[in-house]
Amino acid sequence: MDIIKRIIKYRQLFIVLVWREFAVRYRYSVIGVMWAGLQPLSMMLLFTFIFTYIMKLHVSSYPSFIFYFAGLIPWTFFSQSLNASIPSLTNHYQLITKIYFPRELLPLSSIAAALVDFFICAAILFVFIVIYNIHLTWNVLWVLPLIVLLVIFTTSVSLFLAGLNVYYRDVRLASNFLIQLWFFMSPVMYSVDSLSTRVKLLLFLNPLTFIIENMRRVLLEGRGIVLWQMAFVCAVTAVFYIVLCRFFIKIERAFADVI
Amino acid sequence: MSSDYVLKLDNVWKKYSKTEFFHKSVREEITGLFSRKKDGALTKDEFWALKAINLEFKRGDVIGLYGSNGAGKTTILKIISSITYPTTGSVTVNTSVAPLIEVGAGFHPDLTGRENIYVNGTIIGMEIKEIRAKMPDIIAFSELSDFIDMPVKKYSSGMYLRLGFAVAVNSSAGIMLFDEIMSVSDGAFQQKCINKIKELKQDSRTIVMVSHNLSLLQQTADKIYLIKDSTAVPMQAGDI
Repeated sequence: MDIIKRIIKYRQLFIVLVWREFAVRYRYSVIGVMWAGLQPLSMMLLFTFIFTYIMKLHVSSYPSFIFYFAGLIPWTFFSQSLNASIPSLTNHYQLITKIYFPRELLPLSSIAAALVDFFICAAILFVFIVIYNIHLTWNVLWVLPLIVLLVIFTTSVSLFLAGLNVYYRDVRLASNFLIQLWFFMSPVMYSVDSLSTRVKLLLFLNPLTFIIENMRRVLLEGRGIVLWQMAFVCAVTAVFYIVLCRFFIKIERAFADVI
Repeated sequence: MSSDYVLKLDNVWKKYSKTEFFHKSVREEITGLFSRKKDGALTKDEFWALKAINLEFKRGDVIGLYGSNGAGKTTILKIISSITYPTTGSVTVNTSVAPLIEVGAGFHPDLTGRENIYVNGTIIGMEIKEIRAKMPDIIAFSELSDFIDMPVKKYSSGMYLRLGFAVAVNSSAGIMLFDEIMSVSDGAFQQKCINKIKELKQDSRTIVMVSHNLSLLQQTADKIYLIKDSTAVPMQAGDI
């Protein structure tokens, strides 16, 4: 809650930092903002090629590339947020030692920029849904709380790792590997739908499992969410958020001395 | 009025570590959640960057901090602006403090001068609307109108400083901090800075300046402290 209060107080600076993140990222690039969609789209093509044409897997009743794309969008948001926010504090050494402002603004502006990319990809997915005539039900509305969960969870993990990276640069070095492991632990190229409840519960300790799985479910399959599962994952995410953000605020005071 | 000071540093001590890595501290923070640690003692790798600093500034004071490199001048500014915190002792502030201790800090090399005015302006607490309104004044003060839409990585260090100073003086904070502002600018712009500082003083702002150029400090500051060996001593008119 402290963090939300501080962002509101510093919202003008936050807006400018997000804008700056964008302006700097695409300034000297030729295709600019098209980069946002390019990565998940090319991964989607790769998965479809490998799993549908080489391994001949049948993952969904609708075109399988949409299955993969719908999983890749939240995943890309998560991995991009982590990749951008982990070095965000150490890269802005000169800001942290010369200016006072709430330090979380730096990782959060990286996340906000990734969120814009997320919505660009979501628009592309919507075009696919319309073209392939996928039937939408009211269950689609579940996507909104799922996005909120995704953002809260991503924020907690990013703040924690970005803060830790100030002390131990190992975090940056380990992050590529960690993100790769996390990718296979999340249902991007598979679905946990048919697994037993016990295995599901274990996998749901990674909130991304639930979030990615259910985004696909409510959006493409028109099914609802299992409420007790939602409650379980909300509780897990809340614990993550409270513990990790408190940790960040605790170590934040010393950043200028340590960095 | 019982407390007419705007800023008071009361017996402030600041400890730094000489070793590059500070691995211990994160563990200390975690274990320190449950126990109070003693801050007084020094371990092998630590030293006092500031020792028993007592300063009291009033509204409208222009204070100069003078001393050689590494004496602790900048550390005092960092403590005033809460970029860092004292190891022991207390800092009392009765007004707002500009959060930026060095003009031009926060400029992004790839952004143009104009874009950096927005970044730097919001850093010192201006509203985006306000920056837009003051933009012509800021550009005029910096005398950089011909180069304002050029990325600042192409600026010379003097131009960089002009732009930074032009933004920084728009801060509405009660206490403003300047670290070595006038060291690289030319004579004419230096005079402009000095006039501006006098103007801010009339507006009853408190200004803390750091420099190792004593004659510049003498032209502007009401009171100069010599920072030497991590302590602050007021300088008399006859010194040096």
